[in-house]
Amino acid sequence: MTGPVSPSPIRLTGTAFDGRSSRRHDATLEVSGSCVTLRLDGEGGAETETHWTLEQVGIEPPIPGVPRVLRFPGGARFETRDDAAVTALEARDGRNRALGGVRRLEARWWTALGALGVTLALVAAFVVFGIPALARGAAAATPRAVLATFDRETREFLEQGGYLAPTRLSQARQAELRAAFRQVTREAGGQGYTYRLLLRDGEPQGAPLQLGANAFALPGGTVVMTDQLVALARSDRELVGVLAHEVGHVTGRHGLAGVYQGLGLTLLTVAVTGDLISAGTFAAAVPATLLRNGYSRAAETAADEVAGAYLMRAYGTTRPLRAVLARLETGDRDARENSVEESSAAEKLLQTHPGTADRIEHLREIEARGR
Amino acid sequence: MTDAPPPAPLGRHDRPSGEAGAAAPGGDGGAPQQPASPVTAATVTTHPLSFTGQAGEYFRIWIVNTALTVVTLGLYLPWARVRQRRYFYGHTWLDGQNFDYTARPAALLRAYLLVGAFFLAYSLALNLQFSGWEYVAGVIAAAYLLLYPWLVMKSLRFLAASTTHRGLAFRHHGRPGGSYLAYGVGNVAAALSAGLALPWGWFMQRRYQVEHAAYGTARATFRGDVGDFYLIGLTGLAVGVGGGLLLGAPLVAALAVALGGADLPLPDLGSSGLTLALVAGAYLLVLGLYAVAWQYVRAATLRLVLNHVEVGGVVRTGATFRPWTLVWIGVSNAVVQALTLGLATPWAAVRRARYVTQGIQVRALVPLGSFCADVAPGENALGEAATELLDINLGF
Repeated sequence: MTGPVSPSPIRLTGTAFDGRSSRRHDATLEVSGSCVTLRLDGEGGAETETHWTLEQVGIEPPIPGVPRVLRFPGGARFETRDDAAVTALEARDGRNRALGGVRRLEARWWTALGALGVTLALVAAFVVFGIPALARGAAAATPRAVLATFDRETREFLEQGGYLAPTRLSQARQAELRAAFRQVTREAGGQGYTYRLLLRDGEPQGAPLQLGANAFALPGGTVVMTDQLVALARSDRELVGVLAHEVGHVTGRHGLAGVYQGLGLTLLTVAVTGDLISAGTFAAAVPATLLRNGYSRAAETAADEVAGAYLMRAYGTTRPLRAVLARLETGDRDARENSVEESSAAEKLLQTHPGTADRIEHLREIEARGR
Repeated sequence: MTDAPPPAPLGRHDRPSGEAGAAAPGGDGGAPQQPASPVTAATVTTHPLSFTGQAGEYFRIWIVNTALTVVTLGLYLPWARVRQRRYFYGHTWLDGQNFDYTARPAALLRAYLLVGAFFLAYSLALNLQFSGWEYVAGVIAAAYLLLYPWLVMKSLRFLAASTTHRGLAFRHHGRPGGSYLAYGVGNVAAALSAGLALPWGWFMQRRYQVEHAAYGTARATFRGDVGDFYLIGLTGLAVGVGGGLLLGAPLVAALAVALGGADLPLPDLGSSGLTLALVAGAYLLVLGLYAVAWQYVRAATLRLVLNHVEVGGVVRTGATFRPWTLVWIGVSNAVVQALTLGLATPWAAVRRARYVTQGIQVRALVPLGSFCADVAPGENALGEAATELLDINLGF
């Protein structure tokens, strides 16, 4: 069996260190076939020659503007400015293919700008499509037991923390509202959620934060509605509209998706900046907050879609929800939906909910569609 | 600053290369071996450091490696970090030779994955609050706090062993005991004393970093004094408090006027743009003063430490960069980075490195080619990964 024609030897000049001292030596390196010879110039013309096979020699990946480095067993090191020859040696021996490719990308401005474009596009796509999709997927895959835990823990937190107190509504009124809620969940509630309506006083004495007229859904199907909201409504149709909206949050698994989205944004910041602390700094927190608010505005719109569809089926109009939204916005029991002002563009960015004016407009569209 | 002859033996080292490398075993100030000839006149040679990196060139490296990190969902991160670091080390020159960072990315990847897994578990526990989450998050947090000094030690050892100059690796001989004293006791004392012991902690930490460092067999010593650190701390405090009083008083007055006009206890942020601007201004002022004070402490500490390091009794480092210039560079860098959404990060890093490097000199009584290697043990990358990912502040 005949060997391949051995390629012409490669000869390099540079400096070397023997790995035992910091003394610099002028040196030459010769690669002939797989045989590597390193010659170090010593004191007074003395020369030491060492032989290795090519497999024993490590070739450090290239760094722009820095001498090339070859490493030998025992810590010896050879440095040369002859990049072309080392590159030829790498090519012949199939070394550093991947990082050699990285170097070619780094060498030109158009590839670097291409990398910039790819980074921005991927990050943007991931933020706009990837994170919501992953979060939805993760939320949908989260087992019911976890949802139930979520509900229990949140409820205990709110009640023990003094945010909520027992309702002051009469038994009869409570029964009416529960019946209305059962009606909503039967028709719009999807399968497998354990729905329950908690009627609570949202303004107890000494609460750390007054919830006021409010309603919110926990992921497992617990919907909390405050006495203050019940008082603010002029008809039960309006409350049905609110309950349908909260049921939309439950079936859309928006609460859980929001948690996953926050986590995804943190991890993304870490991946891009390369460390955790940047993820917590002010500069990173602002875009992250805006993105998070953007996601929850989308969730509000989706829940309004569910509520609008239910109201159209039940009453043929979305007016009750529009009316109660207007009253919630102004805090005025006599407010009308047309009195709600448009928010400015900057305000919209900072809001977690779409502007009430936008939501009312959306509900009008649903009504127009349904006719 | 006086240049009194150091206590360790001095002299030129004219022994032939290589073979005479049987170094003094360990010991304090293990200087390069004493030559047979008597001590000749000690001449001090000053070698300036220089930095040859270019912002444009580094931008291309940075963005290509960032893109690859994103495309590979973070798996390429260790390669990106090693490449970026090798660029900075490789462009830092001393006496005609550059430094090199020799960490293996594959080793870093294993450590990154381990640290990342713990962080992910911690984040999931905090965010999801599944049953038993308190235990998962609590155990991870407690382990991190307890292991913190040990991780610092591992990181220092790994970083030193991964740094090479003239074919010799640096080393860090730090032991857990010293690290738990400097980073454990130091930080706890600083917290318990409401910051009074903080400069003492800085002193202990820098001393731990320097005293256990070595280049080959030559050990470094730290000649700094704890009083200098108190001076730096007090200056930083004065900057923060003084600046706050000077700039904050008009802001508070304006805020009081703006709020006095409104009926509500809480201002309606939507309608009152002025109030919003004032609150934002106050926030930025606090942030800015904190940044300035902290940057000053960092810069002044770096200069102080560099002016008090001695290696093997024959080499001293010196710094002539001005801390306040470094503060300006740090603050303006941050502003430019924020305005360019991070795209100016490479420019900022090169700008800072160039200024710092060009303000550092090494004064040596012997040629820099006369140091001997030490037996280099393998160091694992776990501490380094923790430092990198969890931002343990090493101060350098």
